[in-house]
Amino acid sequence: MDACTAVGREIDKVLSKFTSYSDHASNTISSLRGNIESLQIEISQVGNGDITEAQAVILSQALGRVKEAVTRLSTEHRDLHSSVSKVGKAIDKNFTADFGCISNDSVFSGEKQQLVNEVICQHFFREGLLDIAEEFISETGLELQEESREPFFELNRILAALKARDLGPALQWAEENREKLRSQNSSLEFKLHRLAYINLIKEGPPCVPQAIEYARVHFTPFVFQHEKVIQSLMGCLLYVKGGLENSPYADLLTPHQWSEICDVFTRDACALLGLSVDSSLAVCVNAGCTALPVLLNIKQVMQQRAVHNMWNTKEELPIEIDLGPSSRYHSIFACPILRQQSTESNPPMRLICGHVISRDALNKLTTSAKLKCPYCPVEQNPADAVQIFF
Amino acid sequence: MADVSSIEHPTLKVPYDVLNKKFRLAQKTLDREVCHVTSAVTELERVLFTDSRSASQISSLLGGVVEKLSSFKRKAEEATQEEMESGRVVKRRVDHLKDHDSLSPSVVTEWKRTRLDRLLVEYLLRAGCYSTATKLASSRSIEGLTNLDVFLVAREVEQSLGCRDTSKCLSWCHDNKSKLRKLNSSLEFNVRMQEFIELIKSDRRMEAIRHARKHFTGQEPGHLPSIQRCMALIAFPANTDVTRYKELLSDVRWDQLIEQFRAENLKLYQLSSQSAFSVVVQSGLSALKTPHCYRGATGHNPDCPVCQPSLNSLASPLPYAHCSQSRLVCHISGEQLNENNQPLMLPNGYVYGQKALQQMASENNGTIVCPRSRQTFNIRDAEKVFVM
Repeated sequence: MDACTAVGREIDKVLSKFTSYSDHASNTISSLRGNIESLQIEISQVGNGDITEAQAVILSQALGRVKEAVTRLSTEHRDLHSSVSKVGKAIDKNFTADFGCISNDSVFSGEKQQLVNEVICQHFFREGLLDIAEEFISETGLELQEESREPFFELNRILAALKARDLGPALQWAEENREKLRSQNSSLEFKLHRLAYINLIKEGPPCVPQAIEYARVHFTPFVFQHEKVIQSLMGCLLYVKGGLENSPYADLLTPHQWSEICDVFTRDACALLGLSVDSSLAVCVNAGCTALPVLLNIKQVMQQRAVHNMWNTKEELPIEIDLGPSSRYHSIFACPILRQQSTESNPPMRLICGHVISRDALNKLTTSAKLKCPYCPVEQNPADAVQIFF
Repeated sequence: MADVSSIEHPTLKVPYDVLNKKFRLAQKTLDREVCHVTSAVTELERVLFTDSRSASQISSLLGGVVEKLSSFKRKAEEATQEEMESGRVVKRRVDHLKDHDSLSPSVVTEWKRTRLDRLLVEYLLRAGCYSTATKLASSRSIEGLTNLDVFLVAREVEQSLGCRDTSKCLSWCHDNKSKLRKLNSSLEFNVRMQEFIELIKSDRRMEAIRHARKHFTGQEPGHLPSIQRCMALIAFPANTDVTRYKELLSDVRWDQLIEQFRAENLKLYQLSSQSAFSVVVQSGLSALKTPHCYRGATGHNPDCPVCQPSLNSLASPLPYAHCSQSRLVCHISGEQLNENNQPLMLPNGYVYGQKALQQMASENNGTIVCPRSRQTFNIRDAEKVFVM
């Protein structure tokens, strides 16, 4: 945070200096003006004659003061410039001005532009910004198939209803997709019913029979997976009269339940439709923001390797970038001997003892049809190694 | 923190430039007002020291001084208010950037979301999708955090150039005269030349000559060959076939002017020619890219951005992520494979996590089905795999 604190400090200084200058200027001019006005009144009382010597002296003194004060105000303002330019220097010092040096312009130009626009459009759909997406499509002349929009419309409609605390569309959708949800081990439908039940209970004692009727109809199919939860839900009926807020079941009433159900719905629906849970663009941008400073740091190395070649071949980046455990979407095997990633032509091989090395390493370690594992003293025939797939 | 300092330079530099500009304007205003006041005072002093010290004359001159002082006060206040407002814009943005480091995770998530929106707005503005950008900025209430104004002003100028109207462009050049001079910009000269050419095209050659006298005489020596070529144009009819002069008369020059204006506008505000969005997306794709994403549908993970079709083809020319240590995830559950979830190999060579296989076995009497090859095995056939 040093970068921001440094700039923040400078700008605070500038703002306070400006404020004090402004006040000072205002006061000075007001007092000067008041002074001159009173002199004017005094002199106008003289009438048609001439002013006295004394008045002339006072007047010229006052005028001299006016000139001096006004010029000084202008100079003071000019002096503020150094503080202002300090802000600019702080910005230039702490923030990288040229971050485009490590990437390639041509990657996203030409026909690729269309792909980028498609990605952006998908992102808008997913975030529920449907009107912005429409505007974007008309401005760029993008052609999207109808099918790619459909699922998002449906999802957003249901999510909007959930945010407005209306469970109807969500329940209908969950019923329609019951089989698929069950094969995913999703408890979405039960959670929706649970919320509906809690809503009824919240209304107080008059709604209790309605709530019990609801429970009878809808909870029975879920008894096998969610017995304990159903037991506690029925148990809270005891406290309805006295007010649930004072009972051990108070946490059933928290608004957190609603935000949780939106999350659960999004997650299960996306898994069902084979979509990613988070917008791919968002994931990519977050990864990029983590990766960029690392790449800028080794800019020198990248430039030595000739930037254009760097970004146009199927080589690897020269440095490892750790994006955190949540960004591991694929298994990556790096051979511990040769320190290279496995590829189609160099897959991981499991030796008889269970240790895994790459095929190239295996070939290198083989001497006259015998192979000794580098980690344990087990010897084997190289042909006995099995190719594995992560 | 490092990622803030890598891409946020434009976020702060542009409002700083605005602040600087306002400061200069304010200084000019103050100097001008000081001049007015001083001249009124000097006039009065002159009258005082001559012999006619008529009270009424002095009184009215004093009234003039009071008036000038009031106007000084008013203008000084306006100018400092403007300066402070632009200073506050800078401060607001700095405070927003500080949120990046906040201790509360929900604030950080929200900040990242805003960052994506800001990057998108900038990309949209550069691509020319102005109304989408404005809508996005207003729906997320981030107008104060984006450089929307700079691009909207630029759009007006571009649109006017597209309609063959040079007035807005010239006033823009005038506003930014000092900076353009530092950049050695030839934009204003090119605009004047284009005006000259348009006069020739509409056969107003006398006007063209007057225009040239007015605007071409003060130019730098480097422009002389172009000026000479232009002057020669007078001798040719508007539908000439001589290539060199036909080029001068073509409409393509207007598009070139627009391009030049766009590039100069970016340079003026120290914005790079690539948008931060594309740089970040490229780095992200590269950092996420693995050979698995390109091995056909079996390797695809729906959560992995690079496995999505559009991003997949965008990422193909980029380098792969570098990995010096193995990082394995179970294909069934997505959980990491480590000592708590050991990797097990089925007889067909596919490896899965112990937890997922055991769960599958417990639900199915000890049998497991390999999801990728659909073969069935017994859990006892799975062998341990040791990855260093």
